[in-house]
Amino acid sequence: MAASATPQAQQHVERLERIWAERTGLLGWLTTTDHKRIGLLYFFTTLALLAAAGTEALLMRTQLIGPNKDVLGPHAYNELMTMHGVTMIFFVIIPMTTGAFGNYLLPLMIGARDMAFPRMNALSFWLFLASGLFIYTGLATGSAPDAGWFDYVPLASSTFSPGRGIDFYALGLIFNTVASTATAVNFIVTIFKLRAPGMSLNRMPLFCYAFLAVSFALIFALPALTVALIFLELDRRLGFHFYDPSAGGDVLLWQHLFWIFGHPEVYIIILPSFGIATSIIPTFTRRKMVAFPLVALAELLVAFIGFGVWAHHMFAVGLPTVATIYFAAASMIVVIPSAIQLFAWIMTILTGTPSFKTPLLWIVGFIVTFLVGGLSGIMFAAIPFDQQVTDTYFVVAHFHYIIAGGALFPIMAGIFYWFPKVTGRMYHERAGQWSFWLTFIGTNVTFFPMHIVGLIGMPRRQYTYPSGLGWNGYNLVETLGSYLLAVGLLVAVVNLVVSLRKGARVGNDPWGGDTLEWATTSPPPPYNYAVIPKVSSAYAMWDREDREEDARRLARGERTLQQGHETPASTVLDADWDEILDMPADSPWPITLAAATAGIFAMLLLGHYVTAAVFGAIALLVLVAWHGQEPQEA
Amino acid sequence: MSDVTRSVHATTPAAAARVASQRRALPNGWWGAALLVATEATLFACLIASYFYLYSYTTKWPPPGVERPSVALPLVLAAVLVATCVPMLLAVRAARAGRVGATAGWVALALAVQAGYLAVQIVELKDDLDSFSPRTGGAYASAYYTLLIAHHAHVLLGILMSAWLLTRLASGLTNYRVVATRVIALYWYFVAAVGVAVTLTLVSPSL
Repeated sequence: MAASATPQAQQHVERLERIWAERTGLLGWLTTTDHKRIGLLYFFTTLALLAAAGTEALLMRTQLIGPNKDVLGPHAYNELMTMHGVTMIFFVIIPMTTGAFGNYLLPLMIGARDMAFPRMNALSFWLFLASGLFIYTGLATGSAPDAGWFDYVPLASSTFSPGRGIDFYALGLIFNTVASTATAVNFIVTIFKLRAPGMSLNRMPLFCYAFLAVSFALIFALPALTVALIFLELDRRLGFHFYDPSAGGDVLLWQHLFWIFGHPEVYIIILPSFGIATSIIPTFTRRKMVAFPLVALAELLVAFIGFGVWAHHMFAVGLPTVATIYFAAASMIVVIPSAIQLFAWIMTILTGTPSFKTPLLWIVGFIVTFLVGGLSGIMFAAIPFDQQVTDTYFVVAHFHYIIAGGALFPIMAGIFYWFPKVTGRMYHERAGQWSFWLTFIGTNVTFFPMHIVGLIGMPRRQYTYPSGLGWNGYNLVETLGSYLLAVGLLVAVVNLVVSLRKGARVGNDPWGGDTLEWATTSPPPPYNYAVIPKVSSAYAMWDREDREEDARRLARGERTLQQGHETPASTVLDADWDEILDMPADSPWPITLAAATAGIFAMLLLGHYVTAAVFGAIALLVLVAWHGQEPQEA
Repeated sequence: MSDVTRSVHATTPAAAARVASQRRALPNGWWGAALLVATEATLFACLIASYFYLYSYTTKWPPPGVERPSVALPLVLAAVLVATCVPMLLAVRAARAGRVGATAGWVALALAVQAGYLAVQIVELKDDLDSFSPRTGGAYASAYYTLLIAHHAHVLLGILMSAWLLTRLASGLTNYRVVATRVIALYWYFVAAVGVAVTLTLVSPSL
């Protein structure tokens, strides 16, 4: 910060450094409540899980490289297919976007010094990590779930899936939803209450709108999944009859509950990516987003309308015609807010002066693939067409265009964009562009032929196929494409790892970015901002006078809040300064509570219900200890 | 900035009351609790929707051999639970005014009634289990017991939180405890509302 040059400013910075000094070493990471450290923990955990899910995908593609191969048997194939889907959705995309990007960036973008509930934030991470280990323990012990990521009954019932695999799935996901719910609550309260004074809702970056929408979607979507999973476990373990038609139950109840969660989930997956896109496009086109209020509203509307379309996943199960027509219409309406955003991105790029550095390239790739995925998606709203392609590779092609192109590309864009902020070093530009083109071509070569092979009848979720049906060539190309895709991602990883050590050092703001995170040092200090930033528009970094005013305030020691881990709390709409909060520092309790919770779930899995109750009591005691010390006693 | 309070330094009843009266927005803790309530309410909405979903696809609900649920006692109990919202409301008022004794008194009164409520409910639950079990009562029993026990679990959690609050209030009032009182009261309002919804759902086959 330029102002650190003055001795008075230096004095204030040094005082903040002392107050916010963090424990070093392993213990520091285990007890941290710093949102940036937690974001990094999420990042590396999800990266490891992405490697696992990617390996699973490559094994499946290798099995399908030609007809009648025996790389994998049917059982192993089903397990890997299920684990690939579950991992990518619950353990890679959501924690990568909300956990890693959201945690690291949201407080920085709104000018706060931490999340609203720092210890609960740490708890979210440790619960997430434990749930990931829990479900992968299933794979390691030969009891991986194998009924697909949407786990339909009766296949998933104890009659047809007697092993522990489905229990790992059900308990692991209930476990995981606790972590996601805590994260969502934290984001909403942080966005509502911790915005820098002056950042009224209309001055909040679009990235934050996307995360607000996602958090609300999580709050209202996850309970449906939890209920579905609880019913499943009660049926499987205690002889209840929710999904048992012979005793008045109904198998379609699972499908309804699952998709009431599952469709909002699609928007939960891609909305953060929309947020990343709206951060990157203005910076690299040197202009403000076209139609800012419409884009903000569209982000919220997508999440809202997403709750009304779940049965379009069920057009082939025989629902009443009136119901299917309603859901078909709703599915067409949900396209409108997505289209608003798409047009706004394109118009911003066309009317700006784009500079196609690696992050913007990934975003353009995202727009193209998301458009293709969206166009194949709206075809499903035509019920006869949907019934024709249900359970074929056409569907696989569609949702991989959405998830790989729509969610993964913006994640890659975000990694390159914020890499200099997080590490203080620049990546290698040429290698970054290579990784984009390899991945982009690989993605299309892998997934585009799936449209065709699906239309000519190849069913999904089959571990092999016979020769002579005209599928061989397409499958060979798809498999080669998937290797190219993997090479592209590996080039990106190598680029970043090498740049971490050898990249050119950068200052606070190498891109001329538009949002507040570029105002602080790279990497940011534990307190984020020495001075609580002044905000008078949604493009705070482009308001030069405000940033100069911050520097003067630092020299005067104004708005530096140095009596503890202090951060301002504001009113919800106008962000008027309301009070000063003293945030908790590092704590041993979040990880302890996560361990006790892991004990509960492990004992439930093993059927030791009394021991599970003991772990429950331990968890309650940990909570008492957690709240034993009030903030003012710290 | 001079009129902005450093809330956490409010460790006396008078200081806590001043913070409570000066604060314009709702405290972070209240927002966190409100969102927890929102997600929990959705959970109950899904449970109740599932109950009626299964109900609507069945000709005999409850199935033969299972008695229809009684109506009078559950409705009375639900009314009692709703009535405990009044002392919780008064406890919040007292806390915000910095009156620690009154706060603890109202919470304790509510807690006594809530604990009694749960005790009667557990006896009732045992009676039910003696007459039909989730294994034998078909989908009806599955939906019935899941909904009922989910509600009781929430009451139990509320009782534990209120008891914890009383131990904290024993050593005076701080800003932290004022917010905790508001949070726990909000949770009880939610539990009472859910109690009404659950009761009406469960007695519906007898209406």
